Amino acid sequence: MVNLTINGRIVQAKEGEMLLTVLRREKIDVPALCHHEAVEPFGACRLCTVEITKEDWNGYSNYVTSCLYPVEEGLIVSTHSPKVNELRKTILDLFLARHPNSPEIRQLAADYGVFKTSYETVVDGNNCILCAICTRICDTMGFHAISTVGRGHGKEVAPPLHQVPPDCVGCLACALNCPTHYIEYTFDNNYLTIWDKKFELMVCSRCGKKTITKEFAEYLSKHRDIPFSYFEICDECHRKELAATMGQITSWEREA
Amino acid sequence: MKHNLDKLSAIFNRYPQNRESLIAVLQDIQKEYHYLPEEALQATAKTLDVPLSKVFSVATFYNAFSHYPRGEKIIRICVGTTCHIRGAHLVQEQLENRLNIKAGSTTKDLKYTLETVNCVGACSQAPVVIVNNKYYGHVKVSDAKKLLRSK
Ligand code: FES
Ligand code: FES
Repeated sequence: MVNLTINGRIVQAKEGEMLLTVLRREKIDVPALCHHEAVEPFGACRLCTVEITKEDWNGYSNYVTSCLYPVEEGLIVSTHSPKVNELRKTILDLFLARHPNSPEIRQLAADYGVFKTSYETVVDGNNCILCAICTRICDTMGFHAISTVGRGHGKEVAPPLHQVPPDCVGCLACALNCPTHYIEYTFDNNYLTIWDKKFELMVCSRCGKKTITKEFAEYLSKHRDIPFSYFEICDECHRKELAATMGQITSWEREA
Repeated sequence: MKHNLDKLSAIFNRYPQNRESLIAVLQDIQKEYHYLPEEALQATAKTLDVPLSKVFSVATFYNAFSHYPRGEKIIRICVGTTCHIRGAHLVQEQLENRLNIKAGSTTKDLKYTLETVNCVGACSQAPVVIVNNKYYGHVKVSDAKKLLRSK
């Protein structure tokens, strides 16, 4: 166990834990756009920056990204000191210049009192903040269907060769975890389209509701050892069935 | 464009077939074909057992890799400050006119690629033109023909 002080309060943490994990557990609200529990910390957005110091630092302090900073004994952390807020404001100002049309960015910036960027706005910009949660999650899922492409100004998230991604199964993990909802997908009758790839959806054999894509079901049954027939019934019907089965068991127990 | 992909297996055989070899393999492909053909990237992914998305990510990260066919002869005109002052743009114009292409493109017959670069650190020789990694200094407009014919 490690003891640290956060905003004047003494808090315990596990050795090796990242500061942001502790902040989240303590319900301290620090913005963090490139952080996701499912993937390694990345340090791309810089918004989770906090001020740290120690008793013997002679009044000096340092600014670190809390998502990437392991807890230390005796650490004194301020998450909203005037200097931290100022730093965060500048970062949000820059974000706003690049993504002026993103509702999420605008909201976050407004929370810090930034309503208009003081930089030149990127006119042909999009809402991708390059946090790479999508590509990292896709890797975690085991598909490796998309990646970042290029670098510097031209960097973007794209499927290989800018073509329909052969390894995508339409799991939607990228789109649903995108902090700015940049990745588009559409449902159309029995089909889901994402990254220009069209997937047939499974249909529940009981209630007719559409569930996951066929490719995703096939992948899960092959690599996660779940019988394919499991995916022919939707979650809700599975649960209804479970209730029925439980009722059956109870009545047998009563009879016995 | 169809390529003679036979050369690929020779390239693959030079290295252990794992992800550590990725950049070395891409460099050799670039050397052989003067760019990275799509089929070669696909074959690389398969052979080295690296996801295609990762191969593409690496291949697009480094400027040393090209994704469009390039000419046998790559002519790079330095347009850095010194070369500019000493008339690089005139040399550029002359080469563009002779090849009938703009800098940044390749002739249809895939013989020449014309590019500009910013200061190659040889300012005392300005203006500088580099043909397939051979440096030519104090280039004059009238040297264009010679440059195109140079080995
Ligand atoms: S969450 Fe820490 S840098 Fe983005
Ligand atoms: S400007 Fe051309 S070599 Fe420096």
